[in-house]
Amino acid sequence: MLDAFIDGLLINLQLKPFLYMLIGCTIGFWVGILPGIGGGTTLALMLPFIYKMTPQEAFPFLLGMHSVVATTGDITSVLFGIPGEATTVATIVDGYPMAKKGEAGRALGAVLMSSLIGALFGATFLAFTIPIVRPLVLAFGSPEMFMLIILGLTCIATLSGHGKRGLLLGLMSGGFGFMVSLVGQDRQAGILRFTFGQLYLWNGLSIIPVMVGLFAIPEIVDLAVRGTAIAGNVELGKLGKGVREGIRDTFRHFWLTVRCSLIGSLIGILPGLGGGVAQWVSYAHAAQSAKTEEERAGFGKGDIRGVLGPGAANNSKEGAGLIPTVAFGIPAGSGMAILMGAFFLLGLVPGPDMLTKHLTLTYSMVWTIAISNVLIVAVCLLFINHLASLTAIRGSLMIPIILLLCFIGAYTSNNNVGDLIVLLIFGGIGYLMVRYRWPRPPFILGFILGTTRYGAAWLIRPKVIIIFLIAAAFALYPFIQKRFKKEDIGEPDKI
Amino acid sequence: MSRIRYSGRHVMSFCLAAISVGVVITALKWPFKTALFPVIIGASVFFLSLAELLMSLFEKEGAAKQSAMDFKLSEDVDKAVAVRRTGLTFGWIFAFFILILFFGFNIAVPLFVLLYLKIQGRERWPISIILTVGSWFFFWGLFVWLLDTPMPDGWIVAILKAIGSQS
Repeated sequence: MLDAFIDGLLINLQLKPFLYMLIGCTIGFWVGILPGIGGGTTLALMLPFIYKMTPQEAFPFLLGMHSVVATTGDITSVLFGIPGEATTVATIVDGYPMAKKGEAGRALGAVLMSSLIGALFGATFLAFTIPIVRPLVLAFGSPEMFMLIILGLTCIATLSGHGKRGLLLGLMSGGFGFMVSLVGQDRQAGILRFTFGQLYLWNGLSIIPVMVGLFAIPEIVDLAVRGTAIAGNVELGKLGKGVREGIRDTFRHFWLTVRCSLIGSLIGILPGLGGGVAQWVSYAHAAQSAKTEEERAGFGKGDIRGVLGPGAANNSKEGAGLIPTVAFGIPAGSGMAILMGAFFLLGLVPGPDMLTKHLTLTYSMVWTIAISNVLIVAVCLLFINHLASLTAIRGSLMIPIILLLCFIGAYTSNNNVGDLIVLLIFGGIGYLMVRYRWPRPPFILGFILGTTRYGAAWLIRPKVIIIFLIAAAFALYPFIQKRFKKEDIGEPDKI
Repeated sequence: MSRIRYSGRHVMSFCLAAISVGVVITALKWPFKTALFPVIIGASVFFLSLAELLMSLFEKEGAAKQSAMDFKLSEDVDKAVAVRRTGLTFGWIFAFFILILFFGFNIAVPLFVLLYLKIQGRERWPISIILTVGSWFFFWGLFVWLLDTPMPDGWIVAILKAIGSQS
């Protein structure tokens, strides 16, 4: 096994595979930064190019591209408040407020370093856990997946605001997202639900225009209202200065980064969940790490832990996502499903062979994830001052370009003008939600949750009950914590 | 008892309650399996939004300022200016959509960027032209030329093409 591990590295260090990996990384860098072009879509676009490659060249190319997308997607989320990727929305919640305060450099330093740690953790996870996770992955059926999403929703609903009112608003927002996800043809009975006679709505609403509208439009409006650059009137020279501080923050909260990487990996190996849920669960975990009510109130206003958690999780899930794909032929997400297509194009069959006959190739994938992330983070850190200085450009220059990215991003999800209408509607809804302080993250989670629905017999399955209990514990944790704290310090009105 | 004060927050809660009632009523006409989740979720959201509506109607002054763990709008701009700028920005966003609908992306992109930079941003001509050309090349080069994304012509362009092909 050790031989295969070392041989895997040697494959990646050969000239041609290494060059292909560099090309893949370069493409992935831009794909991540640009909203609207997803990693999965680009993987599909790149498939025709691998026909003449050997597996040793094709996987560094494809995985080099796919594994850095989430890393650079975080950059767009932090700098402009637009999710570069669907998996980097949670980074906006605290990353963008930091950029607005002129701490773009610190946020970028933290998110890049936590992304690197997350990616390395995911790669290590992939290398060592294939034999261990096999029974876990195979034991998880659809109901358990459903309950896991409920767990994710519960985390966010609990942490979307403060106190009982926050929970109420979070649940309302999550429920609203769930209701929106009901639009479209019911898969079981084929009945059209809330389609209003529109063919466009038969397949339901795409997450990209919904997400871009909900998250990007309010930020653009706010930028226009302020009439300044994203970073306000902070001096240009100071923007990139917090990079070292951001890197130090990652190590200051090292165990939080590791825990969030673990969350990302565990959710990443479960087919069908992916980064959409992992980022929010890890954000919720980061927020729960706040020890006092004042600390928790800082989340959403630019707390560095809110950047570190999702940054680590959305990268660690990449390596972990390869486990079911490579070992069992079960793709963990849409990107991995496309990658499975690459296996067949190259004459490989995912499954036990990849752990025996082609073990060296499997380990070369581990190394690709690790090396490409190290390279991209190093390049980003080199140019971080230039990246951070983008937040000092006048808002009037940035707004038409950001709007262009939003419209193109929304349109390319289905190549349908209907996506633009969805973008506008959810832009308006997103603005109202921000204005009246309704939390948006639970909405997105509710929307994701709504895409998977089952009957009722699964409710009595033991694993479902266990996850339900964990979810209930997450929901009740803030109240229990508060009660214990009150007992510690005494009721304020009694002092 | 606190004095009842109405705001957009109440309207939002009321709208969500109304939507959830609509969801439940519509879903009740469907078969059990299809209706199960819409009814459960719709009913839950109805009661939640009703609770929120009542709580916000009778809450103490200033309690509505409770913060969500999310992005917050800037509060350091004069309210009247903020309202005017918000309306204007939504107007520009809508105008971009109308331009795309009428002229298609190929024309709407440079037109919108130029108009925004000159009218709203009051930028100088050189920078406006450079950004307009740059954004068009970026859009066309990446999405049309490289990725071969099908871009709709727009109603006016389609009509002109139809007239051109007939003559």
